[in-house]
Amino acid sequence: MIYLDHHAATPLRAVAEEAMHAARDRAWANPSSVHAAGRAARALLETARAQVAEALGSRAADVVLTSGGTEACNLGVRGLVGSSGASGAVLTSMLEHPAVRVTAEAVGRVTWLPCAADAWPNPEEVASRLGPGDLLAVQWVNHETGVILPVREWAELARARGARVFVDATQALGKWPLNVAESPFDAVAVAGQKIGGPTGTGALWVRRGVELGSVATGGGQERGRRAGTQNVLGHVGFGAACAEALASAAQLERAAGLRDQLEEHACSLGGVVNGLPLPRVSNVTQVAFPGQRADVLVAALDVEGVCASAGAACSSGLTEPVAALLALHPGEPWRATSSVRFSLAPSTTQEEISLACAALGRVLSRS
Amino acid sequence: MSGGVDSSVAAALLHEQGHDLVGVTLHLWDASGTEQVGRCCAPEDRDDARRTCEALGIPHYVLDEREAFRRHVVEPFLDEYARGRTPIPCVQCNRTVKLVHLAELAARFGATHVATGHYARVIQQDGRARLLRGVDHGKDQSYFLYGLPQDTLARMVFPLGHLVKDQTRAEGRRLGVPNADKPDSQELCFVPDGDILGFVGRQRGGTAPGTFVDEAGRTLGSHGGIEGFTVGQRKGLGIGGGSEKPRYVLRILPAQREVVLGGEEALASSSLHVGGAAWVAGQPPLEPFVGAVRVRYRHEPASARVFPTEEGFRVEFDAPQRAITPGQAAVVYVGDEVIGGGFITEERAIEVQHASA
Repeated sequence: MIYLDHHAATPLRAVAEEAMHAARDRAWANPSSVHAAGRAARALLETARAQVAEALGSRAADVVLTSGGTEACNLGVRGLVGSSGASGAVLTSMLEHPAVRVTAEAVGRVTWLPCAADAWPNPEEVASRLGPGDLLAVQWVNHETGVILPVREWAELARARGARVFVDATQALGKWPLNVAESPFDAVAVAGQKIGGPTGTGALWVRRGVELGSVATGGGQERGRRAGTQNVLGHVGFGAACAEALASAAQLERAAGLRDQLEEHACSLGGVVNGLPLPRVSNVTQVAFPGQRADVLVAALDVEGVCASAGAACSSGLTEPVAALLALHPGEPWRATSSVRFSLAPSTTQEEISLACAALGRVLSRS
Repeated sequence: MSGGVDSSVAAALLHEQGHDLVGVTLHLWDASGTEQVGRCCAPEDRDDARRTCEALGIPHYVLDEREAFRRHVVEPFLDEYARGRTPIPCVQCNRTVKLVHLAELAARFGATHVATGHYARVIQQDGRARLLRGVDHGKDQSYFLYGLPQDTLARMVFPLGHLVKDQTRAEGRRLGVPNADKPDSQELCFVPDGDILGFVGRQRGGTAPGTFVDEAGRTLGSHGGIEGFTVGQRKGLGIGGGSEKPRYVLRILPAQREVVLGGEEALASSSLHVGGAAWVAGQPPLEPFVGAVRVRYRHEPASARVFPTEEGFRVEFDAPQRAITPGQAAVVYVGDEVIGGGFITEERAIEVQHASA
């Protein structure tokens, strides 16, 4: 199996697996319990929190541990829209992952920032759409195409106009130091399975002093910001993965050469790269194949032993047209149903890419 | 793989024979509302198909064919009802979305054949594929498959064609198929509650009311829409009393939105016409021939002479048949072999009208 879907989930890092294995006798207890067993679990949880905080560049106390990226996005968007002083207006874009896009629509008055690749919004345009108490909710790295959004620049202007800023950094974590404490952001969401941690883990960093409206009600865990007993064992793995992820961020650049190779091959077979000419992260390419169906291509590639992705998969197994592509390439709606995403890891080898190129050629030749 | 027992057992049998399999579920329609009984393409059915594939250790994919299903099956189905006919969408589905298109998709997976859980048989003889009835005549689904072109038929594999239903379930249990005891679905997959009138109304923004008339044209009452009726129907007419003997739907006249009622004897007919025939061999027979013709799925083929015409064929039955219904398929057999078929037109009904006038 050639795994080229690291934007969906990454294999569990050895350090995460070892940490979880070592913690298994203690992590089962309720970390809110006052007794020895509870304190042991609590200690594991707080160590994990410190590791996650380190990767984010924040204090541990400002990190809320969640059940994943989607919950962190919900907590960030709902919490900020529901806080006192919020206007209820949300400026976001169709590039967002549904965790942000759908949530923003559910709780706020949404204004869509036009984000066409060939008509990219300038910072002043972003700022002019924001007022005091509004929320700017944007992703740092687009999950589909790997396009990097200039969130720092936008956020500084947003804050200058009295708006709050939520950043979905799910695909940015592990790619560069996030340094959230020095950032102009108010809340930042991340997820464990994108950096070699287990699925079902995530975190929301919240700037100290920024109030969050409650989302789930229940116990007072996570300083009253996220009710519910924490997934201690999962977070132990997440924390361990965080500790290593930054160290390996530089290695990700190694993937760039292989990514380019795959991309050139796909283009020689008639593919068109999505997201150009915008800057992209180095490990991902999403290629649109005119006249092809992405769901069929991905299934056929899987039969060939190559794991890739056709847009955000939902639990039904159906693939919906990729909203982000309709926004990025508004004149070319065919891209939204004919695009395949390949996302690499530092560990991806030349041999794997050569085999994947050959498989892609075979699949496309059968049309 | 619908998630039902038939396609699951078909997969399990082929797996046991050592074939290299890829499981595919076509998502055709989104069930909506709370009234659905059996649902269509429900998540539970997809999960059943997935569980079967997991148990067999084969990949499973859900392919989205909603757009094609609406275009090739549901819209023509609605159009036929508007014309006062009773369509048989499964025929149309098999020769477009479900099998012909699936055969095209299979090529993308590098698959040489397409297998389904249909109760029918395909044999290669004299350089072409021949379609035969399933051994279980009670379950035989060859009626729905006459429209497959040769190149699709030649690639079809029907592992259940030699089994009777009880054997299928027994094989399912023997092979550990997770859903071996799941009940069969009965209604059209996209109208699981069987309420055609309600479905047409939801899809086409309402149905127009009309009247019941007798054979002489006298008004007998009113109805909510011609889409709620089919030739030969007695129950659910919503018109009681006044008549000493039971009344049946004889004809549907879409232009006037009239449903003609009358006695059962008027339902009998010895002939029918088909337009737009499909012949399994790919070529129409040159001469009239003797065969047996089925006029609906639950109809035992009846002896008849078949006369190929320029556009289709005409059938003269040896004995009158009950409730030959425009829109349904007439499928021609010689012995167990399917020769061809096509949709029944109103031509017969017009003859009857003239005869009674």
